[in-house]
Amino acid sequence: MSKNKTVTVRVRRYNPDVDKKPHYQDYPVELTGDKTVLDALEEIKAEQDGSLTFRRSCRHAICGSCAMMVNRQNTLVCTTPLESVVNNGGLFSKADTVTIDPLPYLPVIKDLVVDRSVFWEQYEKVKPWLMPPDTIPEKEFRMTQEEVNAMEQAETCIMCGACYSSCPVVAGNKQYLGPHALLKAFLRIVDPRDTAPDERLDMIGTETGAFRCHKVSNCIDACPKGLNPAQAISNLAKASMRAGRLSAERAERMKSLIDMLDESAEPEKV
Amino acid sequence: MSETITHDIIIVGAGLAGSWAAMVAAREGVKNIGVLSKVHPLRSHSGAAQGGIAAALSNVRPVAGTGPRGALEQIPPGDEPVDSPDLHMFDTIKGSDWLGDQDKIDVLVNDAIDIIYEYEHMGCVFSRTADGRINQRRFGGHSAPRANFAADWTGHVLLHTIHEQCLKHDVKFYSEWYVLELLVEDGVAYGVVAMDILTGELHTLIGKAVMFATGGYGRAWKITSNATANTGDGVAIAYNAGVPLMDMEFVQFHPTGIYKHGILMSEACRGEGGYLTNASGDRFMENYAPDKMELAPRDLVSRSEQTEIDEGRGVGDDAKGIYLDMTHLGREKIMTRLPQVREIAMNFLGVDIIDSPAKIQPTAHYSMGGIPTDVNGQVIRDAEGNPFTGFFAAGECACVSVHGANRLGTNSLLEASVFGRRAGYEMAKFVQNGARIPTIPKIDLTKKQHERIERVMSNPNVNGKVERVSNLAEELKWNMTDNCGIFRDDEKLTIGLDKVQELQERFTHTEVMDKSKRFNTDVLMALETENLLTFSEVIVTGALARTESRGAHSRTDYGKRDDEDWLKHTMATRNSDGKPDLTYKDVNIDFDRYPPQERKY
Repeated sequence: MSKNKTVTVRVRRYNPDVDKKPHYQDYPVELTGDKTVLDALEEIKAEQDGSLTFRRSCRHAICGSCAMMVNRQNTLVCTTPLESVVNNGGLFSKADTVTIDPLPYLPVIKDLVVDRSVFWEQYEKVKPWLMPPDTIPEKEFRMTQEEVNAMEQAETCIMCGACYSSCPVVAGNKQYLGPHALLKAFLRIVDPRDTAPDERLDMIGTETGAFRCHKVSNCIDACPKGLNPAQAISNLAKASMRAGRLSAERAERMKSLIDMLDESAEPEKV
Repeated sequence: MSETITHDIIIVGAGLAGSWAAMVAAREGVKNIGVLSKVHPLRSHSGAAQGGIAAALSNVRPVAGTGPRGALEQIPPGDEPVDSPDLHMFDTIKGSDWLGDQDKIDVLVNDAIDIIYEYEHMGCVFSRTADGRINQRRFGGHSAPRANFAADWTGHVLLHTIHEQCLKHDVKFYSEWYVLELLVEDGVAYGVVAMDILTGELHTLIGKAVMFATGGYGRAWKITSNATANTGDGVAIAYNAGVPLMDMEFVQFHPTGIYKHGILMSEACRGEGGYLTNASGDRFMENYAPDKMELAPRDLVSRSEQTEIDEGRGVGDDAKGIYLDMTHLGREKIMTRLPQVREIAMNFLGVDIIDSPAKIQPTAHYSMGGIPTDVNGQVIRDAEGNPFTGFFAAGECACVSVHGANRLGTNSLLEASVFGRRAGYEMAKFVQNGARIPTIPKIDLTKKQHERIERVMSNPNVNGKVERVSNLAEELKWNMTDNCGIFRDDEKLTIGLDKVQELQERFTHTEVMDKSKRFNTDVLMALETENLLTFSEVIVTGALARTESRGAHSRTDYGKRDDEDWLKHTMATRNSDGKPDLTYKDVNIDFDRYPPQERKY
């Protein structure tokens, strides 16, 4: 006899090989205080339905595997307590239910597993590796902790894709580099060791790069690591214009706005 | 039957060891490298390492007069270094309880400094000292502050850095491909059979050199810090292909896993000054390691915690927890040095470590044992060190052995990097010096694995007995936790071995519910469970045979280290009945410089 409440975990299921279209399936799960959404999915897979398919690995928000949409909000299920997302009912939702969908705007491979190919392609496009100077020091490059702190705003990104697939620009335009790739470009541009900030600004100061961002800022809400890709993108756009790199037609229109920008919001290195 | 894929070098696993090897071999001019990983490379568990990577850079030192737990300061230019590779070597040997091979440890500590600088030159973002050098912190069992760190996400920055370098060098990745078999002909490894998880199709990949960098085997325990991917696949696959496994009974339990979850709270918590306290609020480590206290090596701290728990001084609703108290460290230190740990404690315990202690317990963490290799990643086939031609291994799946009976914290990121890099050079040389693929039998090489998967997929329903693989995996994990955990004895290990063998038998009539081909994680979990069962038998058999206590292998019925009979590595080889045969290999010891001595902290 359990005193715990049973709640409904509603999962969007789809196997393109056999299903004509996606459908929702409900699973009863006992609600306990320490259960995460991932624990609930694991339990369903082990005890009720082995065919339920999802990615996961580290269980503590560092590997980036388990980004999904929980109650219409992108998040990592491994660190989301089930209790915190069980709906109490209301206008659009059933009581005691949590709804789990795959990350939106990406092709579904099966159930909660999405195809991130385009996401990785954009990441590679920004050449995420350091381009160091020809002569390197015998020991480490010297840099200040403040410089490191600035880079940490991007370095701690785990490439889970929660931001990317919450972005309305991505929804309509897969050419757009996306918040994750632009954040990585930002990392390299603020990195004092990198020798190619100009080349990088050329790369991202385009209509598929920083100037394509519509500043909806969904990426900030979606990021499970508390990062701010929107601000990094905004800084990149400004840096790109200040450096006189206006390859994008849209940049011209934004140029008139630049005087209004707060000097204190300047990126570290322009 | 799908088309055969050919590479010069095939690497399985894309964590630090595999990625280093791939990057280096590519840089050395090998064009055709394929790296297979069951998860996307950036999901590899190397990225979960938190506290640091060891190397005697001597950038910081303890402030004079503040004692072994006092503040650290940068060493001014011109001042004497406080650390050296020699000191790192001694600490590692002592940490290993003299089971680590000293010639290998020598290589580890001497490559260490250089590899940290190489990481830094490739773009790795380390935390800094006031004058801009790489910052260092203390870690357990190290007699100087030599954990080079990036806040508490060191593994993450190292993994991302090395992956970027692989992309720069055009390494080809097979992401979400699961390796099933090592192909061997006339004692030479020449390829693998792997499943493309997306399609469920099996493929044969042929290469002049095959390397395993498949990680550890901590998922065989219920309470573990390991990712779900760490099912020791490479270790089991190698063993099935006739490769011996070395020192498998040595499994490290980390002292600070999140209570009931096992998720890691970095040793950096104690390195930065955190205390361990029991139900009475006592810092009990003063009874076990009065000198090093909380910064004694992990095996010793975990045993101390378990003793407190067993004697009724644990905390939590089942009294199986211990408090990790960092409330005296202050907000600023925690926010800058331990931000990820704080987040983990909030997520899983609902406490803010700035204000409250965190409940923790020992958790299965690191596999000291594995596939035996030399210092260049070359796998060896016997106690004499003869090579298993064409087969290389590095990282946690390998056993060089530098960690012996117990690894020191921060030495694992170092080991994966150093020996991954060395394996990369060695394989490049091997391929460029005219290595050739042996004559391959003209049969469908995927046949055996096709049959295996069909067996797992079909419902065998023997005598009406059908059970879920997940139940069986759960029973195995509890069995290993209860009977092959921190404290072992003959009775527990005998029960444990019987149980593993019973589960192996029961595995033959389990049922997989997902019958589809596409991205079938149900089948994957069944195959992983089969691997867990395979190497768990080797672990328990080795532990039962080793009638002494050394490092992480602690027997209550044989409480002392026994150098006369047991200063030797276990080598387990699969015999024709599928059972492990045990032989033993000498430990490399320099009796003049580092003779075995009593291990006290």
